[in-house]
Amino acid sequence: MGTVHARSLDPLPMRGPELGVQPDDIEAPDIEHEPKQEVLENKNVVVQRVHIDGLGRTKDDVLTYEIAEVFQAKNLIDVMRRSHEARQKLLRLGIFRKVEVVIDTSRGEHALPNGLDVTFEVTELRRMTGSYNTMVGNNEGSMVLGLKLPNVLGRAEKMTFQFSYGTKETSYGLSFFKPQPGNFERNISLNVYKVTGQFPWSSLRETDRGVSGELSFPVWKTNQTLKWEGVWRELGCLARTASFAVREESGHSLKSSLSHSMVIDTRNSSILPRKGALMKIHQELAGYTGGDASFLKEDFEIQLNKTLFWDSVLSASLWGGLLLPIGDKPTNIADRFYLGGPTSIRGFSMYSMGPQSEDMAGDYLGGEGYWAGGLHLYTPLPFRPGKGGFGDLFRTHFFLNAGNLCNLNYGEGPQAHLKKLAECIRWSYGVGVVLRLGNIARLELNYCIPMGVQSGDRICDGFQFGAGIRFL
Amino acid sequence: MSIKLFITLVSTPWPESATLYQPLKEDQILLSDCASSLAVQAYLRMCGLPVQVVCRANAEYMSPSGKIPFIHVGNQVVSELGPIVQFTKAKGNSLSDGLDDIQRAEMKAYMELVNNMLLTAELYIQWCDDATAAEISRPRYSSPYSWPLSNILAYQKQWEVRRKMNAVGWGGKTLEQVYEDVNQCCQALSQRLGTQPYFFNKQPTELDALVFGHLFTILTTRLTSTELAERIKSYSNLLSFCRRIEQTYFEDKSS
Repeated sequence: MGTVHARSLDPLPMRGPELGVQPDDIEAPDIEHEPKQEVLENKNVVVQRVHIDGLGRTKDDVLTYEIAEVFQAKNLIDVMRRSHEARQKLLRLGIFRKVEVVIDTSRGEHALPNGLDVTFEVTELRRMTGSYNTMVGNNEGSMVLGLKLPNVLGRAEKMTFQFSYGTKETSYGLSFFKPQPGNFERNISLNVYKVTGQFPWSSLRETDRGVSGELSFPVWKTNQTLKWEGVWRELGCLARTASFAVREESGHSLKSSLSHSMVIDTRNSSILPRKGALMKIHQELAGYTGGDASFLKEDFEIQLNKTLFWDSVLSASLWGGLLLPIGDKPTNIADRFYLGGPTSIRGFSMYSMGPQSEDMAGDYLGGEGYWAGGLHLYTPLPFRPGKGGFGDLFRTHFFLNAGNLCNLNYGEGPQAHLKKLAECIRWSYGVGVVLRLGNIARLELNYCIPMGVQSGDRICDGFQFGAGIRFL
Repeated sequence: MSIKLFITLVSTPWPESATLYQPLKEDQILLSDCASSLAVQAYLRMCGLPVQVVCRANAEYMSPSGKIPFIHVGNQVVSELGPIVQFTKAKGNSLSDGLDDIQRAEMKAYMELVNNMLLTAELYIQWCDDATAAEISRPRYSSPYSWPLSNILAYQKQWEVRRKMNAVGWGGKTLEQVYEDVNQCCQALSQRLGTQPYFFNKQPTELDALVFGHLFTILTTRLTSTELAERIKSYSNLLSFCRRIEQTYFEDKSS
């Protein structure tokens, strides 16, 4: 019969498996080759052994779930397909650098004539990897040091530590992630962090020290997350010229909140998707597990994408949110929503719209309710320069953004709220170029024309540059 | 006083909405902050400038210098007695205009004495004496916050004050030595006051406001022991001085 070698599958999951046959096995001419292949395909095979070579600290029991399916294969093509899927599953655990599959006939005493041995040859990731980056952001430069310990205890747990030392602020965070063996989508994550931020549009600086615990699990087609978070928030004025409204919010507070979020994501990519939809609903309840802050916060995000003629994509998105204080205390500036800027309503300065302090400083105080919508038409660059290569990362887009941010007086009914959110709508339109960065971020350079500008809003008409992860 | 305000054309007049901020009176404010706040209130009343007292749990963090009290006048925020005196002077109100240079230097020296002795002694007793810190200071300081933030902030403040005490050389002192220092300070003040109604002439100055603020607060605040108040009570002219200022400027205030 000869040896059947299935050469290792390509590292890129997109391409199919390569099936190679040893040249010295083929002696007969092509016509005879065909019947040989057919015979192999139709032949029933039994997978006798599946084992994994190259394990160091990884524990076996975690991996048995991922490779269990391979045993159920009935014929050769099925074996190849299931092995490929098992390889995907092993890779997504995030503990192996490389996984290769070798399928061979069974040997040894108990070998059946149609038996197969499947071997996964794996290379584990190093115990600790470090990274060092420098970052330049909003008026600040910083040095970011990262440490990652994959597969810390042998069952795909991951520990990450990040430390950011900037010209103005210092932040750090430690996180521990553990998936359920056999069910990678069900996982828990524990975090401890200290994050500092400066918000010049509100003349505010905020230092958050917190712990959080998160539980994620899939339910049908959705991904659900339950989270508890305890944060010690310290607010302060960024400058002596800060408004008194911001000065009044200075000080310490403790927020202990439970939150739940549900995500349904059928898009083919999170940056510049061509089809599919995203729906994300998030709610947070603070105050019932201790702490000073007491509120109910709801927000949602919807995005729909559709490919049109000539490789262009139409994308519509809608965001909204509501902050409801519970009890007598008013809402805290750190909990409110902000709107405006290159990542939400283009043509307006960063978070510079909506309720504002009355004195000269004109600090933006955020709002308790908001909505924002965007309509985009993405097309390839005109004349398609660099097609097939670098040029594919760029897109031109025509956009229309609209939204509103305001405070709601909860004494009035929902009718009054809707009316308030519908009057004084800010909107803008324009055209720009989008650059996709990997699968995480995008850069935009737009020419914007803001409209519906209310008194007090700060606009950025003309060219506006934006970089980020989440865009309207 | 209102004629004086009217005549000053350069600065804006003192608004009706001027506000003084201090921590919560019933549950939160401590001896040293209460004394500083009362000193500023007395000073403003002596100048005839109306001010509304508002209590906020985060007053200490709202203050631009981190110290209580601070006043919000128009769109300006000024904290602590020294800068407030300068601020009112720029608006044309001053209590020490009638003093000559020597007297003014003397006044400054006595104010330094009160700040370095009385205020430091108050801080020492509040935070470095374990009994007072555990029974009074930490519970009061942390009362507006929930656990565990309350504990964190209270201990943080205690460590900060103890570090400061070490820096000014009071770290090694015992409670008895502190009481003795207070006694000596009161003796100096009592001698300077003599039989006069106020420290300088017959008009009160900022020194009177400062001394009143501290002495009156010590006399009327409940601490773990009454030793501190006893030391002051032994000087009868200081007692009558406090009573006089209370009656003249705080008639509506019940002690």
